[in-house]
Order: sequence, then structure tokens, then C-alpha cells
Amino acid sequence: MLRANAITKRFGRTLALDAVDFEALPGEIHALVGENGAGKTTLMNVLAGSLAADRGETILDGRPLRAGSPRAALAAGIAAVHQSPMLFERMTWEENLALGGFDTGAGALDLDAIAMRARSLAAKLGFEMPPAGATVENRSVAERVRLEVLRALSFNPRVLILDEPTSVLAPSELAAFLDLLRNLRGEGRIVVLITHKLAEAIAVADRITVLRRGRVVARTTPAETSEEKLAGLMIGEIVAQPAASATPPHSGDPVLQIEDLTLDDHTGRRILDRLSFRVAAGEIVGIAGVDGNGQTELVELLAGARRPSGGKITVLDGSSDGAMAVIPQNRDLDGLILDMRLWENLILARPLRERVTSHGWLDTARAIDLCRELIDRFRIHVPGPETIAGALSGGNRQRLEVARAIASRPRVIVAHNICRGLDLAATAEVHRTILDFSAGSGAVILISSDLDELLAICGRLLIISRGKIRETNRGERDPERLGLLMAGARD
Amino acid sequence: MLSSIAKPFAALALAAALISIVLAALGASPVGVFAALGEGAFGNWYACVDTIVKSTPLVFTGLAVSLAFSGALWNIGADGQLTIGAIAAGAIGPHLGNFPHAIAIAIILAAGALGGAVWGGVAGWLRARRDVNEVISTIMLNFVAVQALSWVVHGPLMEPSRAYPTSSPIARAAQLEFYFAPSRINLGMILAVALAAACYLLLFRTGAGFELRAMGRNRRAATFFAIRIPALTLWVMALSGALAGLGGAVQISAISHRLYEKLSPGWGFEAIAVALVARLNPLGIIPAAILFGALDNGSQAMQRTQGVSPELVQVIQGLVILIILAFDTPAWSGLRENIFGAPHDAAAAAPLAEMPDA
Repeated sequence: MLRANAITKRFGRTLALDAVDFEALPGEIHALVGENGAGKTTLMNVLAGSLAADRGETILDGRPLRAGSPRAALAAGIAAVHQSPMLFERMTWEENLALGGFDTGAGALDLDAIAMRARSLAAKLGFEMPPAGATVENRSVAERVRLEVLRALSFNPRVLILDEPTSVLAPSELAAFLDLLRNLRGEGRIVVLITHKLAEAIAVADRITVLRRGRVVARTTPAETSEEKLAGLMIGEIVAQPAASATPPHSGDPVLQIEDLTLDDHTGRRILDRLSFRVAAGEIVGIAGVDGNGQTELVELLAGARRPSGGKITVLDGSSDGAMAVIPQNRDLDGLILDMRLWENLILARPLRERVTSHGWLDTARAIDLCRELIDRFRIHVPGPETIAGALSGGNRQRLEVARAIASRPRVIVAHNICRGLDLAATAEVHRTILDFSAGSGAVILISSDLDELLAICGRLLIISRGKIRETNRGERDPERLGLLMAGARD
Repeated sequence: MLSSIAKPFAALALAAALISIVLAALGASPVGVFAALGEGAFGNWYACVDTIVKSTPLVFTGLAVSLAFSGALWNIGADGQLTIGAIAAGAIGPHLGNFPHAIAIAIILAAGALGGAVWGGVAGWLRARRDVNEVISTIMLNFVAVQALSWVVHGPLMEPSRAYPTSSPIARAAQLEFYFAPSRINLGMILAVALAAACYLLLFRTGAGFELRAMGRNRRAATFFAIRIPALTLWVMALSGALAGLGGAVQISAISHRLYEKLSPGWGFEAIAVALVARLNPLGIIPAAILFGALDNGSQAMQRTQGVSPELVQVIQGLVILIILAFDTPAWSGLRENIFGAPHDAAAAAPLAEMPDA
């Protein structure tokens, strides 16, 4: 039995955990739910030993764990999968797994044996590993997370703690993943699942603990609760806010035209295959797809970070410079510079940088003012413009990115998985902002692997699969059929 | 918490303590040695001037390194760039006799900057267009530059009597004068200080400087926001090279007046330590360079009066650098990312916990 007694942890003036008791039994999936900032990740870090609590202790099977030592926690049988992948980008996936428990020791590093064990475990869990010798930097987010789960499982742990693992999985991968969790439970392990996807918690968990602002506000079971009740407990009051209603298919003037857009990687493999579509003013076009089907590359092309091998991206009416604002999917890697200040992150966007630069000189006072204005307007909870971006929570980082995109006054916003890892309130807020933008006749391309999100706010839906894009029938709303299309089925 | 100003002093104190132990073990008197060091570096007007003269090339190369490092471009080639700048200055210098003083000075300095810019620009071009790691290319170009210097002073630029492997002296008009004769204080240090201020403004007060710093902190994010990385890489490496080359030209114009082999005692390498101690801040380069210049200068007095070997001075310098760096890790974070790939540790640097949204 895993037990945490009266864990208290303070960061500066912030009380992250306030005398939290937590308990999980062998053969149990225990869901830990709460909003961003509720303290879920902090609790996980304490349990997994990567953070020492100010007070309280962690006990596994009657033995107290040494606080603040991930090594001791691992030795005792507690393995954790972190929210943002902690992988070595420029090493192969086999080398990354070599740091796990697949290696039999014996001194020599046998990557083939590691790959074999990994592949067989992956097959049991229902997914494939990347080609032999592939480096991590080119893999999709979903593949990275699977790699992490595999690495944690390689230690054959008694306790597996997963921090938001499903937020990056495609719908088609979700069922298999939940089955995997059930299998682990069947083997008598303790599974702690941190999530804010309430449906999932109810579907798979035996017990649910709800955290709010560093305190346990409820301990319940799926039988005695519901999504609505859990949402109410998490947020503290019942906020009846359906994200938004879907925008009607809009027939404004076309703003963006993409013709035969093609991209081959340096080995000549075709990543994007003659994409053609248009986006009109005031329209929100969704692009649905399982991660790793060319979405990241499409965003890179639209951002101008990469040159296409063929085809054209044209912003109709007006110059193309600054007409497009991109919100990349990986906030921490692509969208922000975490060790720079907020105002500096803001002027990463060229239109904003130009607004505070004259004759090459940067007017820092104006940049700071602009930042303060946006902090107020978009209700970003931070001390001020001089705060380092890395000190922000996930929700506030996303608010900053959305604020930056809107403030750039683009014709088109391209947003990739913008609500991944955000809680209900933050998601609704981001959606509302995007809808407001489109209502002001801005065009939006929303790329996501979350069908529910796309169905909620998109007027038109495209499917991307193996680098090809196809229109769906207007009014096609059946998630099952769409899911099949995403998986690459032909009509 | 130690402030950023107190830290280097604490580091120096710790270095002094460690060195005292070494000295005592060798049977020398720590107090005597340190007194000689201080006396030699700052003991009188001439010592102070000499310290400044010795620091001057380090300011130029230190600025060159800090500018490139700010963009996560690891220019290890300031020494080669300085050398090529010196060759350009030494080659054109003897032919400037008919020009007015100011024009001749402008030409010889411009020649040095241009030479260095070309040398740095080659590495920048290789990185931007051919994706050749600049660490490797700049190190290789250092070797080429040193051999080029050796060749010109034995060959095309050898002085007419052909007795010594040096070039002809530069024209009187192209020599930076000692305005405070008989001391050797010259315009070089004043130029260096002005350039440090200019580099600071460039980095922290211009759009281009911002783009450079953004590229240095997170290359991926910079590409996503359409910062033109290849062009920026080329220009920054050329500018970095120009600063180092200017340092070479100043050395020729003010101090040595002619080319000879082994012109640089390693100013381009010492510059890396200078830049890191200054945390890549151009304004910090000046005190950092003077610190190293003072150690150099004071060491000669140590040898004279205390019989301490010159090697021990290098040991002291090494210890000082190591301890300062140990006290001050931020300058390395970018380097770490460059070696290990995308900045996952940036996430680790942030508080592990989520901060409350409300």
C-alpha cells in the first residue's frame, strides 16, 4: 500500500500542497484529478522522490521512503512518467531506453537486446516502436510519451504514477492504453493516474481523489460520482459552460489559399503530399488527425520555419508578412523561451517586435507596457512583465501564447493542439478567445488530435492522414466515422 | 543569496585561499606572493598602465566571444580572427606613410576588422549554409591563421634585410600614439570601452540583438517566429570576427608595430574565460579583462621578487576561472542545451510544481 501522510509543500509564498493525505492500494487504479495548479504534479513529484516535502512522509508497504531521492523511490518500486517528456533528444530511442530497466546490466550495453525487449513489451501494449536507430528529436509527441511509459515499465515497478499521459494519445490509442492500465492493475500493481479528463477517470479508475488548491476536497469512486460532480468539485463552483457552439460554416472571402503543398524530408520520404485547401475570413477550419501524420510539419511550413518542397501558401489580399500567427503545439519547446522574460517572449512575434522597434532600436519601455496591457486583457496570472516565462503554469503559458497571437493582429491564426494539458476553465477560455477572433472575421486553422474539441468549435473539418488531407462532408459529426477516417480509412 | 557583484569577489577569496595552500606547500610565502602580485599589477602608475595595455586585446576578443556566445554560436576562433586582422593591418601599415594620421589610423583599423570579419564570416557561412559545426571550423581556422602568419613573416611580408622573421614596421602615421607619454596608454583601450558600450546596446536595445539572444536561448522557437537564422549566423560570426580582428590591428598599430610569429599569446582563448566570467555581458567584459590582464602583469613581479615560477601563475589563473564558473552557472545553460539538444532542462529550471493559475 502506498500512503502519503500530511504532505505539505511550499514554493515561496505559494502553498502548493497543504497537509495532503493520499492512499492507493495494490490492484487499484487511483485517479488523481484537479485543475491546473491544484498540486497534482507536485504531489507526484513528492511521491516519486524528485521533490522533498516540507512536512509529511511517504510510506510504501509500511516502510517510509527517503524524501527527495528519485533513486530511492525507484529502488522501492515507484516509477513515474512525467508530463513533459524527459528524453535525450539527440539519442536514439534504444539509447533512451538503455537508461531504463531493460538493460540486464553485465557491463556491456546491448542495444539490440533492449530493442527486442521494448518491442515485445510494446506489442503486448498494442503499439509499435519507431524504426531501429531513429533519434528522438524527429518523433511525434505521442511517440515520446509512449517511450516514457515504456521506460517506466521497464523497471517492473510496484507503483506506476502517470502525469496526464492520455492528453497526448490519439483516440484510437486511448482504449488500448486504458486496457494496459487495467492489465497493470490485474498484476497487482498500484497505478496512480493524474488527469483532468474526467470521463477517463470515471471509465478506468477504482477510486478518485480530487485536489483543489493544494487540498484534498473529495475522495470518491466512479459509482458514486459523475463528470458534472467531479467538475464541480475541481473548480469549486458549478460553471455550466459548454466550451462554445460550433461556428456556422462561413462564407466570407477566402483569406488563405494552400495549393499542392508538398514536403519531403532529407531522406526523400514524403511527409506532406499535395495539400490544397482554402480558409475564408471568419471561418474556423479544423484539421483532425492522429499525431505524427504531418501536422507538425504543416505548422512549420505555415510559420515559415521550413521551406516546402513544392506548392504554395498564399495569403490573399494584402502582404503575407505578419499575416499569419502561429501557436505551436509544444509550448515549452517551440512557443516560448522559458528563461526569458514575459515581455521578451511577447516580442518574439515579428509584428509585435516591429511595433516596439523604430529604426532598429528596441523600445523596452513600450514592450513592457504592451505586455502589461495584454496581461490585464487576457487575465494572465503573473506578478508582471518582468517575470521569467518558465515560472508560469501551463494554463498561463498558453494564455500568453494566445494573447501574443491575437495581439499580432493577424489575418490567420494557426493553432496546434492548443488546449492540450489545459483544464476545463482554461480550455473554455482559450476557445472563447479563438471564437471572438473569428467573429471579428479572422480565419483560424485549428489542428488537433482531440475530436471533441474540433467538433465543438470548428465550422469545417478536414482530416489529415499520412500526409494527405481530405475534406469531410459538411455536417459530418459522427466521431466514430471521423475516427476511422483519421486512422486512414477510405470513405 | 549572493548578489551578482558579490559572487566574483567571493570566488576570488576562495581562489586565494586555495592558492595559499598550494604556495605554502611549495614553501613560498602566500602573503609575499600576493603582495608582489598586487604590487606588480597595480602598485604604481606604470604598473596600472601596463595592466591596462595587457587587458586591451582581451577586451576585443572577449567582446567577440560574448557576442557570438549570446547567439549560442560557439566561436572558439577569436585567436585566428585576431591573427588575420593583425596580418591585414601589418600588410597595409607600411604603405600608409603619405596619409594624414587620422586617415591612416582609420585605414589600418578597418583593414584589421575586415580581415577578422572574413575569417569569422567563413565559419559563419559554413554553419549557415553547410551546417558545419562552428566549434570545429573555428578551431581549424585558428591553425590556418597561425600558419598563415608564420608564412607571411618568412615570405611575402618579410622585412627587406631578410635577417629576421618579421615584417617591415608600419608607417609612423598609422601608429596609435601614446597620448600620455611616457606611459603606453593609447587610443586602443578607449576604443575598446566604446565598443563594449556599443555591443551592450546592440544586444539589449536593438531588434537585431533581441533576435540574436532569442536564437541563443531557444533556436527552435526562433525558427518558429521566422527569425532568419542563417543570415543572423553569418552576420554575427562576421561581426564577432571583426571585433577580434580589430583587436589584432590595435595591437599592431599601438604596441608591436610589426608582425612576428606567435603574435598572440592566446588572447582568443583567454577571451572565452573572460566572456564567461562576465556572464557574456559586454559591460562586464571590461572588468573581467582587466582582472586577467592584472594577473598576467602581476605575475612578472611575482617571478622577479618571489621566485615563483611562471607556470604557477597559470595555475592561479586556471583556479580563478574554475572557481568563478563554479559560483556562476547561468552562463553555461545555453552551452548545455547546445550539446544535449532541445532545452528540456529549461523546464527543469522552472519550479517543478505547477504554480497556481489564480
